[in-house]
Amino acid sequence: MSWSRVYAIILRYSYLLFRNPDRAADTFYWPTIDLFVWGLTGLYVEGLAGNLLIINIIISGIIFYHIIFRTQGEVSVNLLEEYWSHNLVNIFVSPLRLSEWLIAVVVNGIIKGLLGFVFTGLVALFLYKIAVFSYGFYLIPFIFSLMLTGWFMGFFIAGIVFRYGTKIQFMAWTFTSLFAPFSAIYYPVTFLPVWAQKVAAILPTSYVFEGLREVIHTGHFDPNKFWISLLLNLFYLSLSIVYIRSSFRKALDRGLINTY
Amino acid sequence: MNYILEVKNLTKKFGRFTAVDNISFELKEGEILGLLGPNGAGKTTTLQMLLGLTTATSGSVSYFGRDFHKHRSEILEQLNFSSAYTKLPWLLTVKQNLNFISYLYRIDDRKSRIDKIVKTFQLEALLNKEVRHLSAGQTTRLNIAKALINFPKVLLLDEPTASLDPEVAAYIREFLANERKQFQISIIITSHNMAEVEELCDRVVFINRGRIIADDTPENLAKTIEISHVRLLVVTAIQPRLFEYCKANGLTYTQDGRYVIIDIKEREIPAFLKNLSESGISYDEISIERPSLEDFFLEKAKGGKE
Repeated sequence: MSWSRVYAIILRYSYLLFRNPDRAADTFYWPTIDLFVWGLTGLYVEGLAGNLLIINIIISGIIFYHIIFRTQGEVSVNLLEEYWSHNLVNIFVSPLRLSEWLIAVVVNGIIKGLLGFVFTGLVALFLYKIAVFSYGFYLIPFIFSLMLTGWFMGFFIAGIVFRYGTKIQFMAWTFTSLFAPFSAIYYPVTFLPVWAQKVAAILPTSYVFEGLREVIHTGHFDPNKFWISLLLNLFYLSLSIVYIRSSFRKALDRGLINTY
Repeated sequence: MNYILEVKNLTKKFGRFTAVDNISFELKEGEILGLLGPNGAGKTTTLQMLLGLTTATSGSVSYFGRDFHKHRSEILEQLNFSSAYTKLPWLLTVKQNLNFISYLYRIDDRKSRIDKIVKTFQLEALLNKEVRHLSAGQTTRLNIAKALINFPKVLLLDEPTASLDPEVAAYIREFLANERKQFQISIIITSHNMAEVEELCDRVVFINRGRIIADDTPENLAKTIEISHVRLLVVTAIQPRLFEYCKANGLTYTQDGRYVIIDIKEREIPAFLKNLSESGISYDEISIERPSLEDFFLEKAKGGKE
């Protein structure tokens, strides 16, 4: 393991954040637009229903959901970036190991996930006077759990890209959304149809968002929800690491250049 | 003898197609080896296996006496690669690219190394320019600068001077020859420019249909071709008689304006010229082109297709 090589990859993608408007938009622009549209919708519904917590739930949901989206994107979109710029060969003829690349994109995910979280948190404070930071230390375990979800999803997508190339690149932007309806981001799991509740039961995200709502509603942190989400995340993360390693081996077998 | 690189019985199959078929060769310290072959011969797949971008179906690759598969990362620290067909991240500037690559190869004293390489390849004015805005020649210079940043002991170059103007290409060739002389770098080069291979390479491995069909110096490979080209400047009125003579004697010829180029075995040239004189077929100029590596390439490539 070489930290110099890990740092090289962190540096390479950090440069990109400031040189590629697409990447800056993913981190700052889209979350802000979501906050505007759904925040105002929430305010309107809150006015009709007279429930003061609706806006808090929607805004928190958006902010925390973007943590998954950001950390997942740092894995899958950064890999795609190497395909788009025909740089994959330069990266993997260097001494860099796959594990070092994975650590680098995970670190990048932490940096940009937190950057996005702080930014959207400040936007929510400015626009709606909602202070997500006021939930304090209860947030940290859930943020960590959401990042784990982002990483395992990112590793799965990166594995698929290694196997099938850029023709399935749409998954980098759509895969996370597939799980959104079952994750109970804005509504309780019990609101879902029974079959969908069974899907939600095996998703770590449903426990995180249920737990977050509980913190918002009651100020109470349920450690069970955190531990279940953590165990599920670790299980999926292990599977995703096995999958990406096997996909990388498969790509080398076919010839890495031939996966363009 | 201790070789820098040893390739033994290397084979790569893609399903039922055999791209590389049981090839073996070595590379000595300070040697420049040309890897030649027509398109689809298997040289790119071979190069990819030598770089660890493709896993071999069977056989082995060893660098510095160590198995490449087992010591991939350590070995790659002492290798580098440049191709006319790969790009560095195009949205990053030249400086940003060299900076992150210097960390990738764990370069000591990165700043002075980058300064040196930038100066060598005249990249000073381009440092803050994004790669996507560089010309083809500037991109190639940057690619080769990147390939030399880690003081590699082995350099693999895939058509390094493709798309360069003759002046820059000559500079790159001279630079590579000097690097080899000064630091004993071993180089493997693929190129479709036979003059370049003849100028640079100590040895050529010729691959066709996945197999090595020749492994020798460029001079010795050219010598295996018996046919020379006799180029005669013949006035138009006399040309038909020359064509008839060639047809009657089974010689192939091509017309290039007022010049006629006749393909003939080198040892038969004196008798041929004597016969022309006796037949009253005069010429104003004569030049004899001895067989070159290009002739060898064309004959072997044609043989592979048949």
